[in-house]
Amino acid sequence: MPPSLPDFSNSVKLKYVKLGYQYLVNHILTLTLLPIMAAIFVEVLRMGPEEILNLWRSLQFDVVQILCCSFLIIFIATFYFMSKPRSIFLVDYACFKPPLTCRVPFATFMEHSRLILKDKPKSVEFQMRILERSGLGEETCLPPAIHYIPPTPNMEAARGEAELVIFSAMDSLFEKTGLKPKDIDILIVNCSLFSPTPSLSAMVINKYKLRSNTKSFNLSGMGCSAGLISIDLARDLLQVHPNSNAVIVSTEIITPNYYQGNERAMLLPNCLFRMGGAAILLTNRRSERRQAKYRLVHVVRTHKGADDKAYRCVFEEEDKEGNVGISLSKDLMAIAGEALKSNITTIGPLVLPASEQLLFLLTLIGRKIFNPKWKPYIPDFRQAFEHFCIHAGGRAVIDELQKNLQLSAEHVEASRMTLHRFGNTSSSSLWYELSYIEAKGRMKKGDRVWQIAFGSGFKCNSAVWKCNRTIKTAIDGQGPWADCIDRYPVHIPEVVKL
Amino acid sequence: MVFTKELEDLVYGIKLSSVGPGRVTGSDVVHDLSGMDIAMKLHYVKVVYFFSSQAAQGLNLTRFKEATFDCFCDFYYTCGRLRRSESGRPYIKCNDCGARYIEACCDMTIDECLQMKDFYSDLQKLLVSQQVIGPELTFSPPVLIQVTRFKCGGLSVGLSWAHILGDAFTAANFMNRCGQAMARLGSNTPANLQYKSNTQHERSKNPLPLHDEPLSLKWVDPVGDHWIVSNNCRMDTFSFHITASQLATLHSEISGRNRSDQVPIFESICAIIWKCIAKVKLGEETAQARTVTICKKDPRKPSKGVVTNTQIISAVTLDLSVMETDPQRLVTLLVNEAVDERMKMEEVVERDDGVSDFIMYGANLTFVDLEEADLYGFELNGYKPDLVYCTVHGVGDEGAVFVLPAGPKGSGQANGDGGRMVTIIFPESLVPELKAELAKKGLGQGDHDLT
Repeated sequence: MPPSLPDFSNSVKLKYVKLGYQYLVNHILTLTLLPIMAAIFVEVLRMGPEEILNLWRSLQFDVVQILCCSFLIIFIATFYFMSKPRSIFLVDYACFKPPLTCRVPFATFMEHSRLILKDKPKSVEFQMRILERSGLGEETCLPPAIHYIPPTPNMEAARGEAELVIFSAMDSLFEKTGLKPKDIDILIVNCSLFSPTPSLSAMVINKYKLRSNTKSFNLSGMGCSAGLISIDLARDLLQVHPNSNAVIVSTEIITPNYYQGNERAMLLPNCLFRMGGAAILLTNRRSERRQAKYRLVHVVRTHKGADDKAYRCVFEEEDKEGNVGISLSKDLMAIAGEALKSNITTIGPLVLPASEQLLFLLTLIGRKIFNPKWKPYIPDFRQAFEHFCIHAGGRAVIDELQKNLQLSAEHVEASRMTLHRFGNTSSSSLWYELSYIEAKGRMKKGDRVWQIAFGSGFKCNSAVWKCNRTIKTAIDGQGPWADCIDRYPVHIPEVVKL
Repeated sequence: MVFTKELEDLVYGIKLSSVGPGRVTGSDVVHDLSGMDIAMKLHYVKVVYFFSSQAAQGLNLTRFKEATFDCFCDFYYTCGRLRRSESGRPYIKCNDCGARYIEACCDMTIDECLQMKDFYSDLQKLLVSQQVIGPELTFSPPVLIQVTRFKCGGLSVGLSWAHILGDAFTAANFMNRCGQAMARLGSNTPANLQYKSNTQHERSKNPLPLHDEPLSLKWVDPVGDHWIVSNNCRMDTFSFHITASQLATLHSEISGRNRSDQVPIFESICAIIWKCIAKVKLGEETAQARTVTICKKDPRKPSKGVVTNTQIISAVTLDLSVMETDPQRLVTLLVNEAVDERMKMEEVVERDDGVSDFIMYGANLTFVDLEEADLYGFELNGYKPDLVYCTVHGVGDEGAVFVLPAGPKGSGQANGDGGRMVTIIFPESLVPELKAELAKKGLGQGDHDLT
């Protein structure tokens, strides 16, 4: 039909215009430098060798002047190299693979729910509706204590789960990297809801007999974004301590926090949170440059806690019957959107190519000065990153971010499939997603990855990594997806028929 | 089931959980039930295995659970839940929901338990779950496993297996696989298990002309979705052992003059007990009163692999009164004139697409031959069970007799090797008389010498 053809050719023309513009702006320096160099070269050719030699002799250089100049150059160079922040490398990481005996199919979850909440059929109905639309699959896992009818969450079971998850992940990490426990200089453990004394980091030190001068930190209460907070902390510590290894353990212990009441807003986490954990090895040693998988480029943290609504939107409290649970407010998505916008505003200038930044600046100026009704320009982050790891907090979060950042289905595939296979594993979900991308063989040298996490508070944290070497799936790209990667991606229906 | 308060308190510390398949079965996987399966839906196989403290020592219950997960990967159809199609025909949706797993403790030693007077009638019911399917089909587990720890360190494993999934032979096979999976947990050799679905079973779409109704199947009033039949009179259960020497005595009594004849053990026991029962029960006028049902293992069906309801169910009717027939003639009749009723039973069930409710055990006096069920094949830590007790829940008013092996082969136990264990489910009011009759034949006195 005639009307569509002009549209098509228009859009093709537009595409080329866009491409031309991007190429022009992103390489402006090269493009201006080239003509200048060409002019000088032509001039030199024209002048001929004798004239150049004459020019050289006419310049009279004093020994002192030469020495001063060279010292100045050396001094500036040294100063530059010394003050440059150390490069932080991610050598490798390992994700916890839950045992088969912890598996919770939908049918089992619903049957247990009916038996536990037998006088509250409405709550059971609610849980069923959440589960149907959750985007979770049939292989997610809950810790052994939660499998009982009713669940038996005592401290011993919680410690048991912590030992199972953390020690498995650490053992896996040691195996993958060849790291020896006594080589760990910094240890950071983050687990939001379970914080015993002695801390989980002390538990790790005890189990693996780490050195007595290991710097250990235990972050608790910081929500699902605590993984990236740990990375930020490790990065800062590695700037101060040269030639060091830092191990970060990100996990969430579910046993003590399984909500036993029937308040709907608090039943939601029961349906989504699942067992998981990851152990990551960061280093600033130059000897590891070659083997390291990623280099940490940026970490951007945004905290919206100053706003009361944001502060209360994920709140742990007691219900009327005294059961402790985490209450999620109805404006969670709106607040998440706000926090994301804040984060993007900071990270944008750091990662976006000049072309996008220029467009954004022009539209901003235009809106402020000329016409406030102009649509705000949303920078195209696909220019800045090859891979996206969005915290698998729930289907709604991933949908929202996909819409806001205009990402394709393939960009959010890692997040959706992690939610399906492992559920919401809180701070470690980013690592399962990264593992998925590696297992699919999509990670090439030079690829940039953006990890975004949301957490209670309300926080939005981002980390940007650059891939250091192409990751071969057969050797080190498998991990927790080893036995099921061939089944993925799966189509996840809107509503699963239970 | 109303237990006395003291009895109920004997088994305590009940913890419920679920065990399911370790592998995802997939969505929309359905297991169709054959006519034979549906005919059995109101019955439940119960098997209780007793292990000494030696066998249970160092047994990690977590490992046992892991082995069950492993086993269920092949028996995934037992982990599903029942649904009804539009026509009302039940089928199993394989949704990996799992079997119920029950952990319990008992403050007595195994020996003390077995010596209790009402062990077989009441106490054993605390060691295996009595839960039946229903009233909600979609949320009733067809398989329940109970592990009870005793004061002496021994343990019992009680398996409740809905007969719709398979007969006692299938149930025993499943437990044996669990034991093998436990032994295999260290090594990673996979089980080569062929799953034979029963969907290829002959199902007659067009109803064949009925010759006569099967004698072994009895209609009961519709039970809806609560799959248990209520008896018109209270039933009682009791058990006794028959030692090898007692069997020899029986043999000589039956064969009489022709001592060289090979008299099959099961049929001899059946003949003697039938005569005792006939003396106790009144009225032999109707042919139905002179009919018995016999259940035996089908030698043609493979014992390995997963198969469902395949036992041979046959019926025998006497022309004359039982009391007047001599034992040898009874044995001959039981062996030669038992008519395989399975085809007829299937026809009847299929006639209304599996909606009607029937019972088989207890429709007539039923004799069940479990000698060939590898009940002692379930091993823990390399040890065989000391005692295995097997019965069926949901037996009708005519009662049932179960003949089991008394011990593992080559165990050299007092009541093992060559002996038999007989369990009788019979109307409570007639049990004392029956016991007296059996005592006259020299049976049933070994009630309490189970070591």
